[in-house]
Amino acid sequence: MDLIFDGLSEAWRLLVTGDSDVYGITFRTVVITGASTLIALAIGLPVGLGLALVRFPGQRGLVALANAGTGTPPVVAGLVVAILLWRSGPLGGLGLIYTPAAMVIAQALIATPIITAITAAAVMALPPTLHLQIRAMGANQRQYLWLITREARLPLLVAVMAGFGAVVSEVGASMMVGGNLSGETRVLTTAAVLEVSKGNFGTALALGFVLLAFIVVIAGLLTAVQQRARRQ
Amino acid sequence: MKQISTSDPVLEFAKVRVRRGGREVLHISELSVDEGAVLAILGPNGSGKSTLLLTAALLLPISEGTVSLFGEPAVGRSEVRLRRQTSTVFQDPALLDMDVRRNIEIALAFRNVSSRARREQSERWLNRLGIKHLEKAMPHALSGGEARRVSLARAFAIHPRLLFLDEPFSALDPEARSEMIGDLRQLLRDEGTTAMLVTHDHSEAQLLADQVLVLFDGVQGQLDSTRALFNFPANPEVAAFLGYSIVDPKGLPELLRIVVPRISAIHPAAVRLTNDTEGSYSAQVIAVQGSHGDGRLLLAVGEEKITATMPVDRINELDLRPGIAIRFEVDTGGIIDWSGSG
Repeated sequence: MDLIFDGLSEAWRLLVTGDSDVYGITFRTVVITGASTLIALAIGLPVGLGLALVRFPGQRGLVALANAGTGTPPVVAGLVVAILLWRSGPLGGLGLIYTPAAMVIAQALIATPIITAITAAAVMALPPTLHLQIRAMGANQRQYLWLITREARLPLLVAVMAGFGAVVSEVGASMMVGGNLSGETRVLTTAAVLEVSKGNFGTALALGFVLLAFIVVIAGLLTAVQQRARRQ
Repeated sequence: MKQISTSDPVLEFAKVRVRRGGREVLHISELSVDEGAVLAILGPNGSGKSTLLLTAALLLPISEGTVSLFGEPAVGRSEVRLRRQTSTVFQDPALLDMDVRRNIEIALAFRNVSSRARREQSERWLNRLGIKHLEKAMPHALSGGEARRVSLARAFAIHPRLLFLDEPFSALDPEARSEMIGDLRQLLRDEGTTAMLVTHDHSEAQLLADQVLVLFDGVQGQLDSTRALFNFPANPEVAAFLGYSIVDPKGLPELLRIVVPRISAIHPAAVRLTNDTEGSYSAQVIAVQGSHGDGRLLLAVGEEKITATMPVDRINELDLRPGIAIRFEVDTGGIIDWSGSG
């Protein structure tokens, strides 16, 4: 029990005194997870819409692939990105391995199938008559896609939350492609793992609290947007 | 095929075929709807009524032929422009997740109508359909009848040159449905709107339409003025669909063969129960059916079956039930034998 209480008091001290390491790691986490979630959204939203709305041979197979992709283990995503970006790998010349950019790529790889699959499911769940009605009202392709996205906005926010949740909590891929370099690629999850391995439970707990607080704030914001959309 | 032409057609089908899943579901060699006319599409389930409407509304691609709206063949990029001159009301009102007023204005926004003009139009149609008090309501808070009124307001607000109605009131209870049909009839007349209506309800077609097209398996059975079609069905298949009894004199009692000498259709309203023995025929009730206050008796007459209609109250009063022997007479004006045709 002493270990826990010591850890909690250390966590409190680090947070209240504004430990620069903790705040630096937190800021880096916000930037990397935010960027990877936005990239995943930029890819997953149109791909999910396409999978749901465009009929083509192999459509079902691709939907199944996207669904299967939601369970992509972060270490596998990390391994793929690491092989591609490794100095002797096909994209090694870019010099991205062990950089925040590599972490963004790996995390986007994890979140994209999640956002794609939920987007496709959300759009497919809309009543078929709604698609016909929107086209019947004279919508062009752009207006049609905008209204369909708007109609599916509540589950689409769930897609964003799920994608964000997956990247903010993963550690395997970040460790593999980021290297957990102090001041460069260390994020809340990799830092917590490192601190536990060193027996610094106070610091690890502080990082855990910050991570939880970060998740709660983002989820709260997205929920507020969702509820506002629902009321509208 | 009979063509009824009084003015320029707003909708024309020429040798149109629609195939789905390798099967031909619609084949219309020629069809036109003139400006100001209301055409009802009738037919059994799966006869292609909704396919025809969706094809006409440019919402379903055709496999062959040409669909023209307002004199212009609908191809490629012209489809959205032509569709913007039409409105469609489906059985499911399919209201968007926004308040009633915005639902009415959204189709106008697609047409780049100014916000002020949108406001004026929505105001007019909210009042016209008696739903002004619901302008801020969300679709989930509306009753079935209110939602249909919103979908009608949305459809009329753009002043469509052609209105498509796909069983718009079929999910409503009889009272609400009756009220909506009356309101729609008035709207169509006041606005002079050209319309195509898909319905299962013969009385709805009779009240709203100038012309009726009966479809069987995606093919035209008969196209005629409403009055002509219901009073003079062109063939036994159409007559049977409209509720006529198709009888072969070979299976009728000798006395009845005098008034039904050939294969004929007998209108159910032409069959009347009577107590007189003179000039009447005997039959046995084999089934009693009814809906919305209208009763139907299925009678065994010789080897044939004849349907008679009468109010449900009257059926109950006479305690008519299967197995009971009755006598009936036939109004010869309700018998069609096609001997003079073709």
